[in-house]
Amino acid sequence: MLFVSFLHLLLILSSWAWATQASQEDDVRNFFGTSSEHTNNWAVLVCASRYWFNYRHMSNALGMYRTVKRLGIPDSNIILMLADDASCNSRNKFPGSVYADRGRHIDLYGENIEVDYRGYEVTVENFIRVLTGRMDPSVPRSKRLLTDDRSNIFVYMTGHGGNEFLKFQDNEEISAFDIADAFEQMYQKKRYNEIFFMIDTCQANSMYSKFYSPNILATGSSRVGENSYSYENDNDIGVAVIDAYTHYVLEYMEGINKTSHQTMADLFGSYDVTKINSHPGVRSDLFNRPLEKTLITDFFGGVSQVEVSPPPSEQPAQPPSQPPSVQIKEEQGRTHLRAETNRVTLENVKEKLGQNVRSWGALAIVGLLIGWVSTR
Amino acid sequence: MRAGWLVKFLLTSSLAWSTLGGFQEEPFDEHLTLESLRDGKVFSKFSFTTLLKGVSPRDPRSLGNEDIAYKDQHYTVFPLALGQILREYAVTELHLSLNAGKWNYDRWGQPEESGVGTGAELWTWMGEGGQSSIDERWNGLRNALAGLFCASLGSLNEQRTTSPALSFVPEGQLPDWGIPHQIRHASLPSENVCTENLTPFLKLLPCKSLSGIAMLLNPHRLFDADWHGMSVHVLWREDEGVQIRLMFQAVFDPLRASPAVKKQDWSFRSIFDRTIERACPVARSSLVTVTLPSSGAYAVNPEPSSIIAGLAQFDITNSSTPLDISLRWADNFEYPVDFDAPLTSLSVQRTLRGSSQAHGQLSVVLKNHRAEPLSVVYLETMPWLIQFFLHTLKIHINGVPTDDAMSAMKYIPAVPHAQPATFQCLLSIPAGATMHLNVDVAKSFLRYTEHPPDAQRGWDLPPAIFTLIEPSQNGSLEASNRRIYTPALLLDLATPDFSMPYNVIIFTCSLIAFLFGSVFNLLTRKFVVVSANSDKKND
Repeated sequence: MLFVSFLHLLLILSSWAWATQASQEDDVRNFFGTSSEHTNNWAVLVCASRYWFNYRHMSNALGMYRTVKRLGIPDSNIILMLADDASCNSRNKFPGSVYADRGRHIDLYGENIEVDYRGYEVTVENFIRVLTGRMDPSVPRSKRLLTDDRSNIFVYMTGHGGNEFLKFQDNEEISAFDIADAFEQMYQKKRYNEIFFMIDTCQANSMYSKFYSPNILATGSSRVGENSYSYENDNDIGVAVIDAYTHYVLEYMEGINKTSHQTMADLFGSYDVTKINSHPGVRSDLFNRPLEKTLITDFFGGVSQVEVSPPPSEQPAQPPSQPPSVQIKEEQGRTHLRAETNRVTLENVKEKLGQNVRSWGALAIVGLLIGWVSTR
Repeated sequence: MRAGWLVKFLLTSSLAWSTLGGFQEEPFDEHLTLESLRDGKVFSKFSFTTLLKGVSPRDPRSLGNEDIAYKDQHYTVFPLALGQILREYAVTELHLSLNAGKWNYDRWGQPEESGVGTGAELWTWMGEGGQSSIDERWNGLRNALAGLFCASLGSLNEQRTTSPALSFVPEGQLPDWGIPHQIRHASLPSENVCTENLTPFLKLLPCKSLSGIAMLLNPHRLFDADWHGMSVHVLWREDEGVQIRLMFQAVFDPLRASPAVKKQDWSFRSIFDRTIERACPVARSSLVTVTLPSSGAYAVNPEPSSIIAGLAQFDITNSSTPLDISLRWADNFEYPVDFDAPLTSLSVQRTLRGSSQAHGQLSVVLKNHRAEPLSVVYLETMPWLIQFFLHTLKIHINGVPTDDAMSAMKYIPAVPHAQPATFQCLLSIPAGATMHLNVDVAKSFLRYTEHPPDAQRGWDLPPAIFTLIEPSQNGSLEASNRRIYTPALLLDLATPDFSMPYNVIIFTCSLIAFLFGSVFNLLTRKFVVVSANSDKKND
């Protein structure tokens, strides 16, 4: 009888010890990167309005294109959809250029741009086909979103919109349910690791209210019932050149470079309601990681994280010392190695080992004591 | 270890020999031509030619098997992206042009490169045979080129594709495989050309835009030109091999830049806002040719390498100093009396007459400026939106109705919603005569879903193409590769009120809700009398 209860106690104690060991596995997993597990970055930038007076929507999308390229995402990983040609438009006094500010300081079009979907090709059907990957076999590679389950995707949409819809070329509209379903298809087919969805239209926050797939972080420029306003006009171009929300986001992003450690919480904290003239919103309930730990370059930049193990030491019998995790950032053909040792250090691992030893030791001591008591 | 140096020596020598041999097998030439036109504008033509020696196009019958010919797949200077597309779809000859603006034949003459029609134009000669049909390969080729050049060539589907064999003679030769070759032609006049088309174009060049003549290709100036066009030509000649020619032509206006003082002067700085800093090391030859004006006092800087027959040649093949060529006149510019007089043997004008949205009249006016009769092949590849009434075709020469001016007519009628009309005929115009050609047309009423998003703008009709018939080497008359393109026409079709489906749905639903609601209430609601005294007590 006593022996049975002793065994029962032993079982309970061993399961508790096993649980602590299981948590140690989490630590081991965290050792390989507490932050995002993505290995490549993609961007889908959509300007859904046509006509010259919607110049500002095209410069919104091009501003994001320039930012995303500057932070490292290559053209092959960017799908840029522009519903009209603003830069070589016959109304454009500055051909080959698109500007986003009064005074025309930065040319967003530049000399090295690839627009994947232009003009009449920017339709709701093509947008959903790009996201879900279900396209005719004849569609060329540059027009496909070739993501896998370790890709972080930045989806940016701008145009005219309303409560749970966005107008495409003043002809058709896409609803929030359509985008939510497309994202769910992507989740089912493992086409993304995390999605960051940003939208700049009137009543933009309604567009992300219907998402139901995990790992999506969304932000919009205005609440339901609110308009999003343009920022300023340029007197020589003659139309509004940028929207307020996108202007302030781009202004914030100008302070970010590839090595920056600013987080999404910083970006959302920089929203100023009085300047933007509307209430931008954030939806993070579907997003697993805390916003304070999510880097902006996880979505906007082409920064990838790699683990590098050091070359084997002289005596192969000796177990290799814990490799520090490094971040390799590529920059115009040069590579910088920056070892980051604050994630997991030698001391941390020793501490975990000690914890393990202590838990099993305690179990053994208790077991011995009970055994001694029962046999007396 | 001692033989290691021998191995290294052999490796490096073989590498050097193969690279040298590679360069010799793929000569790359670049050429820039500049000419001051009569009306003060400057015509510039960039031409980048790569020749794959001894290589022939892929036989379509081998499409099912792996393409294992070594020489055909290893390129050093030849662009790999384009080469792969050509092999994949077994293309023998390919011509793609992306133009914007209207080429003024009267003032600027006939260009050497004939394909100056507005918008995108793609035509290829492909061999028949193998497991995939020509139409399937044409579809794949269009989409592949659309992806490569960031152009919406994918919409050049069967609604825009025709097969005009007489108007588009191959510029090179067609290989003698014993299988017939067919042509496919499609054009999209509403296509925009912008920097995103120039970017992949430059990436196909061996030196990109970093050295050589391509340094001058500044998109901010090129797309400001009065007329600009970019084209890709792939052809095969039996004694040479596969040649790819990338061209960019533009007509600039120096008078626009100097509004106060009318000076026709130009320089690289003033037109392109760039200079040629260094030569492309891979180029076998790098030449700039400036056509010297025939009248007026002018100065060319710097001194040309040679002057041959009124053409100043600058050879920059091995130069390392920056080059900025300029041509300056002593006097201000004045329009010569004949600046508008036609420079070509044929002038064409095409208009769509009529004010109705149901029918109209297509009118073509041809003028023969030569002293002898002229024969042209007239091609219309009209989309199915316009239906011809061929029995109303009338031809007048100098105002006199004629019956025998047109011969060898080939007409493939349009199939609505499916296929464009191909109308091809041979016209003979007497010396110095004006020919009027009129045909009644019917305009379609499109289905609701067929309208483009900007339906009120109208539809662009592709240009009519006139191929000049000239005597060839052996004396017989045959179609040359000089073509004249008319401008695109804008067709105004009847558009519906696009808000009507929404209106009908809202109205009908409101009516049904109103009726149903009233009937339901009458049937189910119970009306009870409530005394008013109890209300006063609850103040």
